[in-house]
Amino acid sequence: MGWLIGRLLIVLVAAIAIWCVWIDYKIRRDFSALQWALPARLYARPVELYAGAHLSAAELTDTLQRLGYRETNQVAGPGEYNANGSRVRLWTRGFSFWDGDEPSIYADIDFLGRRINSLRGNQATGDIALARLEPVEIAQINPDTGEDRLPLALSDVPTDLVNAVIAVEDHRFYNHFGVDPIGIARAFVTNLRAGGIVQGGSTLTQQLIKNLYLTEDQTLRRKIEEALMALALELHFSKDEILGAYMNEIFLGQDGNRAIHGFALAAEHYFGRPLDELDLDELALLAGLPRGASYYHPRRNPQRATDRRNVVLAQMMNQGFISQQQMEQAQKQELGVSARPTQRGSGYPAFMDLVRDDLSRDYDADALQTEGLRIFTTLDLRVQNTMEAALNDAVAAVEVPTAPGQTAGAPLEAAMVITDASTGDIRAVAGSRRPGYTGFNRALRAVRPVGSLVKPAVMLTALESGRYNLASVLNDSPVTIKLDGNNTWSPRNYDNQTYGDVYLYDALQRSLNLATVDIGMQVGVPEVVSTLRELGLASNPPPYPSVLLGAVNMSPLDVAQMYQTLASNGFRSPLRAVEAVTTGTGERLARYGIETEQVADPTSMYLLEWAMQGVFERGTARNMMSRLDRNLPLAGKTGTTNDLRDSWFAGYGSDLAGVVWLGHDDNRDTGLTGSSGALRVWTDIMSRLDIQPRQSFAPADVVFQRVAQQAIRTGNGRDCSDTIMLPFRQGQMPDPATSCDNNDSLLDRLIDRVRNIRP
Amino acid sequence: MISRISLLLAIFMISACASSGSATRPGAPVSNSEPAVVRGQTDSSESAQEPARSYPVQVPPQRVDVPATTTTPPPAEPAPETPRERAAPPGTPASTLLASVDQAIADGDLERAAAVSERALRISPRDAYLWYRLASIRYQQQRYGEAEGFARRALSFAGNDGELSRDINSLLGQIGQR
Repeated sequence: MGWLIGRLLIVLVAAIAIWCVWIDYKIRRDFSALQWALPARLYARPVELYAGAHLSAAELTDTLQRLGYRETNQVAGPGEYNANGSRVRLWTRGFSFWDGDEPSIYADIDFLGRRINSLRGNQATGDIALARLEPVEIAQINPDTGEDRLPLALSDVPTDLVNAVIAVEDHRFYNHFGVDPIGIARAFVTNLRAGGIVQGGSTLTQQLIKNLYLTEDQTLRRKIEEALMALALELHFSKDEILGAYMNEIFLGQDGNRAIHGFALAAEHYFGRPLDELDLDELALLAGLPRGASYYHPRRNPQRATDRRNVVLAQMMNQGFISQQQMEQAQKQELGVSARPTQRGSGYPAFMDLVRDDLSRDYDADALQTEGLRIFTTLDLRVQNTMEAALNDAVAAVEVPTAPGQTAGAPLEAAMVITDASTGDIRAVAGSRRPGYTGFNRALRAVRPVGSLVKPAVMLTALESGRYNLASVLNDSPVTIKLDGNNTWSPRNYDNQTYGDVYLYDALQRSLNLATVDIGMQVGVPEVVSTLRELGLASNPPPYPSVLLGAVNMSPLDVAQMYQTLASNGFRSPLRAVEAVTTGTGERLARYGIETEQVADPTSMYLLEWAMQGVFERGTARNMMSRLDRNLPLAGKTGTTNDLRDSWFAGYGSDLAGVVWLGHDDNRDTGLTGSSGALRVWTDIMSRLDIQPRQSFAPADVVFQRVAQQAIRTGNGRDCSDTIMLPFRQGQMPDPATSCDNNDSLLDRLIDRVRNIRP
Repeated sequence: MISRISLLLAIFMISACASSGSATRPGAPVSNSEPAVVRGQTDSSESAQEPARSYPVQVPPQRVDVPATTTTPPPAEPAPETPRERAAPPGTPASTLLASVDQAIADGDLERAAAVSERALRISPRDAYLWYRLASIRYQQQRYGEAEGFARRALSFAGNDGELSRDINSLLGQIGQR
């Protein structure tokens, strides 16, 4: 019997020994390779500050608030600002950008309307020409665990916070070896006296183990295992390594499906500011959270949180970390937590879809979820927020009310894409009229016929052929085109009228279908398709004649690509949403630079643009002229599809290009043309964005000439009493039948006019 | 009678306007929207002021040439010609960023140089010199296709800056030989 017990004992001891060895091995393995799965963080384009920058004081302070800057009377350090009317003073925090480090500087900014008037430094910084704010974090791609943290070296953790944590959680931290029997005994006595749990017996080491191995069960076996692990950890790693890991690992709150770990992220989550900007009372609040992040939640349970903070402060004083005066001062402070956690996650879902599409080419989902990548996007928050604030109301204002007695279907939907007119950077996207909508992303996925939006491509094909100019006379009259088999196609104008002889520019400005078909059939449908592809159309539509009137399916994003090429004068730049990717420490991994390729002749583009500016001045967009008074000249084109199913407008100034689509998901008719629907929405938003007038040079071979206002094919009847001046490419001058300039002498023309002026 | 004379004067002015508009001035900044419609019997005062609206006219950036004083280290691919130093007014965003571009090139980090050039272009998208710098950086990186696109873009903004146009054309020539 004794023999049996002896054998069992030996087996038991051996088993415990093996268990210990296993725990020791596991701890060494896990902890030395301790690497947290870190979410990728996405940043908006940073705000640039320089004299002349397009930014208002309100827009700047809005950004500063999103960045968690604190408004103070006297700007004394990073992360502080003071706004006073048209003057904003601030101290940036600096940021490690992928194209270099941005220093932390003081700037004194004077605004004039919606622009920065001047930018000054202080005596320390001297004159500054430009400065960049830190980029606003717009989203992150979370690991499956839902854990999020901002890892921080122990040396970067404020001393007050380290002291506070040690004081309240484990004040014998530097004296024990992982488990603290004295601490347990003392906690037992303290708790007994207090009649409740005010002090824990777990050392920081034990808490770290508990967090790392995420166990909820409180069995004796777990407790022993935890204690053994703590001992093993202390055996192999230094106190600083353990404390550093604790600071980053500990669970400090829940934000939706995202778990807040570590003090650096908790500082952002609760205060919207970086850890090193927090004051003693704020640090003490955070130090009180490991005990129960939910129980002491400062937004939900402010009183408990305040009491807990004050306990932490009292412990700090008891242990000599702070003076009594410091304690009293800090205990008097309000909680000071930000009203809501910084907006994250699903902030800009439509834009995020684009980013995901872009990134999926180079990064797999795992890399994005675990490697803590920093992704610098082209999103312009000024543009995006302005658009989002206005879009729903703008759509509601044009929506045709359901007729009485008719059942109301789903409301009119919308999509909008705004790009940089010069570089193709995507500055804003809406996939629905509702901001933040996470469902069907119409900007990318609503692939619809584009109607008259293809007409500029038809006219550009004609101008590029060298056989046509803006005053070429087209035939706007009924036509029947034979298709394959016995099918025929008989297009009509939108208003069912015909206009006979019309100029090319006029056909574009008034969006005449029959004249467009006339010129399109002359230059050839395959050539028009080829122009569309040069302008950036990715698909390859079969060259049916109906392509000439927009029987081409495109998403708003496809249209944005096409019109971006027009906006940059025939230079196609692939649209981009991501500019660079770096590691979490700022090391550059990938960069997606601007690219540009010339796809159309500058003179052809100049002539086309002249006609497209006329869309606002004389054509289908003239109804918006007064609303865009400060912004014209702009260029653009309306688009309407059969039975009014889609209402489009695409247009551009010198800084921005924008596309608006309105329609129903079930393809019902909208009751809107491009002009009565999308154009109005476009105008509403682009005028709020203060879209800048077009600026164009006439290429050297452009000549201005007069032609008779009324297009005519034979010179006999031309009426030069009413003329229009048009640009021409030298060598491709207007037909003598319409020209009112070069055939006659100056005197002839003068006489001609005087005759007409005579009463 | 006086009104008749002023009317006649106005007509002369319109004609002068028209012929100056049709004269070709290579690369001269001409606003895009020339007076669009001129009706023969329009009110004289209105016509005389044609164009009635003030259209934005792009003024090409001022450039003062300064002989190159700094020597840049040999690049990966020798640029056809070291881009001339540009004395943008000191303390402007462009001059600050161009200094960073030079620094990045000196550090041998051409990609950073390209990135900073792009940042400058976001501030001044029509600055021919900045497009040209970007073109030469891509050329040095032996990314000739991209270099050509940027050089052509530069040329389209160079306007009547003959010297810059020559530099750009020379770069285009070098690219063409690749």
